[in-house]
Amino acid sequence: MRPELNQSTAICDWVTLLHDAARTGGLGLRSTHAPSRVRWQLRIGRSIRGAPVLGGETLYLASIEGTLYAVDVTVGRASWIFQGSGRAHSTPSICGPKVLFGCDDGKVYAIDHASGKKLWAASTQGEVWTSLVTRNGVGYFGCADTNFYAVDLETGTVQWKTPLGGKIYSTAYVAETQLYVGCGDGRLYSLDRANGRVLWSAQTGEAIDSSPAVAGDRVVVGSEDFYVYALDARTGAVRWKHATGLGIASSPAVSHGVAVVGSKDGYLYAIDIQSGELYWRVQAGEVVTAPPVFGQEVVCVQAAGLVAFEITTGKMVWKAGLGGAVQSAPVLSGNLIYLSSQDGEVYALE
Amino acid sequence: MDRRAFVKSTLLGGPGLVFQVDQGVPAQVSLPQPPPIEVHGGAGVKATPLSMPGLYPGRVVEVSAPQAIQSNRVSQPVVARMIERGLKELTEEKSLCAAWSKFVQATDVVGIKINPSGAPACCSSPEIIREIIRGLECVGVPKQNIVVWDRYAYEIDIGGYQSLLPPGVEIVGIEAGVGDVSGYDLNIYCEANFFGEWETRSYMADVAAHRVTKLINVPTTKDHSASGVTGCLKNLGYGTFNNVARSHRAPYSFTNPLIGLMCSAEPLRSKAVLHIMDGMRLVWHGGPLTQIGDFIEQVGTVFIGTDPVALDTMELQAVESKRRQKGVPSVWEHNPKSITTSNDEFFRDPSKNLFYRQPGHIQAADKLGLGISDLKRIDHRIVETG
Repeated sequence: MRPELNQSTAICDWVTLLHDAARTGGLGLRSTHAPSRVRWQLRIGRSIRGAPVLGGETLYLASIEGTLYAVDVTVGRASWIFQGSGRAHSTPSICGPKVLFGCDDGKVYAIDHASGKKLWAASTQGEVWTSLVTRNGVGYFGCADTNFYAVDLETGTVQWKTPLGGKIYSTAYVAETQLYVGCGDGRLYSLDRANGRVLWSAQTGEAIDSSPAVAGDRVVVGSEDFYVYALDARTGAVRWKHATGLGIASSPAVSHGVAVVGSKDGYLYAIDIQSGELYWRVQAGEVVTAPPVFGQEVVCVQAAGLVAFEITTGKMVWKAGLGGAVQSAPVLSGNLIYLSSQDGEVYALE
Repeated sequence: MDRRAFVKSTLLGGPGLVFQVDQGVPAQVSLPQPPPIEVHGGAGVKATPLSMPGLYPGRVVEVSAPQAIQSNRVSQPVVARMIERGLKELTEEKSLCAAWSKFVQATDVVGIKINPSGAPACCSSPEIIREIIRGLECVGVPKQNIVVWDRYAYEIDIGGYQSLLPPGVEIVGIEAGVGDVSGYDLNIYCEANFFGEWETRSYMADVAAHRVTKLINVPTTKDHSASGVTGCLKNLGYGTFNNVARSHRAPYSFTNPLIGLMCSAEPLRSKAVLHIMDGMRLVWHGGPLTQIGDFIEQVGTVFIGTDPVALDTMELQAVESKRRQKGVPSVWEHNPKSITTSNDEFFRDPSKNLFYRQPGHIQAADKLGLGISDLKRIDHRIVETG
């Protein structure tokens, strides 16, 4: 029997990429062990760029062909699919009974989690690669048409939109009164959540694809200018920045007072959020563009495969040669790990 | 060399070209001969003065600026000066817009063929693409009529071109997944059976065949494990036709003559009017995919011309020079002891290779009339800029 999801969109908050700053998909910090076998494998056959998300016993993921899959994790089979009208790079998000995702043709969809039926679609003029984030019944997302949108989650009606200075491939972080989002013009913007007014913006040296994470009074984000930045959440003042070897498309995960982020130089960087001190740097693959995910004592990231590192030391504790990814991240769910790969495979590891 | 080419009618009724070639260099091993290759180009295309080798056969402008790349970051202002200086030198025009107007008009739909293979360590620099877009706008081409493209959407995603290039410019990755042929014209193809593969045709991308009216080629400067070097010809041919990996199966490679033949196919030959080779970084081993910094020099160079053969000849010189400097074998090396079957060994040991490389595709393209490979006839202009 399918566990019921929260039926109210008014009280669901999915405030950032993969739900929370630790990128856990709303599952919290779970104890995670080295997987020893594949419980099931599902071949989608189409490349999967974004990450899967878990709601109850259903895994939701979008293939590049624009198909949203609902996979029953008890058996590893799709219980329904929904075909969007364009390619999809977006990582889905969940709000009550709705699964939300964007397509390259500018459509954003709300799909009923149980039936796979479309509840509404909103239209924009550019690609929507970002995840929709939600707070108090409103959905927020950026678009390659250079606008940032707020939509009513019940109807999909646009409440406001704010033009920014470039294309938006960064998923926003929505705090209580303001939200934060990176932009192709190299700026991190803070907008008033109520009306979209720009409160401040901070310039970096290149486009920001990375999705910001917020911890206390700090906003942490990576830039294609090779740097990780920590900005004052109220003013946008740069508190510290740390150089990596190449551009950053990975989104920082934050927990335990530490921000962990990947760089295209192939390394993961763990940095103290307050001081900017580098705790450790470790090679995770040749290129890291995906967001790390925190477990209870480990941080995991998908590069050429899935790798887990000890949070305190950066020591690699296990590696699974599955799940080559662009922007995908594992779902750490107790004894099981779910992951998707850019070559179109979905795995349940135990 | 004993190359011969002849034209024959095909069953489809269109013009076809069958090409046979020997390996072109004294081999230290006995290498198999490539099979006949049939080229079925698009019908009704007439060559123009812009068709390869274009307006300036044999001319290569090499623009160097050591400060163009520092700490592995490419400088936008320096690249802007390099492109301007190089294009003025190539065309002998006084203004940048006048130089661009030699190649494109406001009514053109312009494709920019990037090389994201090897991203992020070495791929077509977004800074160079931005300057090309600025140049096209200077002659009146609207952003909506500019298409940046390559075959592999995945590699474009890794390179981050979507956010790094300006709004309005379309970015197209033809193949969203393995085996996706929906973006190709099934009537324009090269056909050969190299190794008994089941699919013996390689089709031309729709975007090149139909969508764009002009094409700016932006290859990178790299060695290549099968073809010796990548460059203008390989970026154009193997980046426009699908199903090309079948031309090399370790340790043998038939990239010569397939690369040149693909570039000779219309309308590709007529649409590729300018080549701006990104030499910000030079990969001297492990190309085209290496991410190992030890094999990637930060050089800060751009090569500009309309003759892809002359440009690739100069690139080959640069790669060979760097390999000599590093004390590793030439890309022409055909010693069996240099061959490894281990990818790991290949990626870490620059004296090893997976294939008997075949850089003779550059001379083969010369024979096809695509440009000049004779160093004595190449007008190599070296320009330094700050």
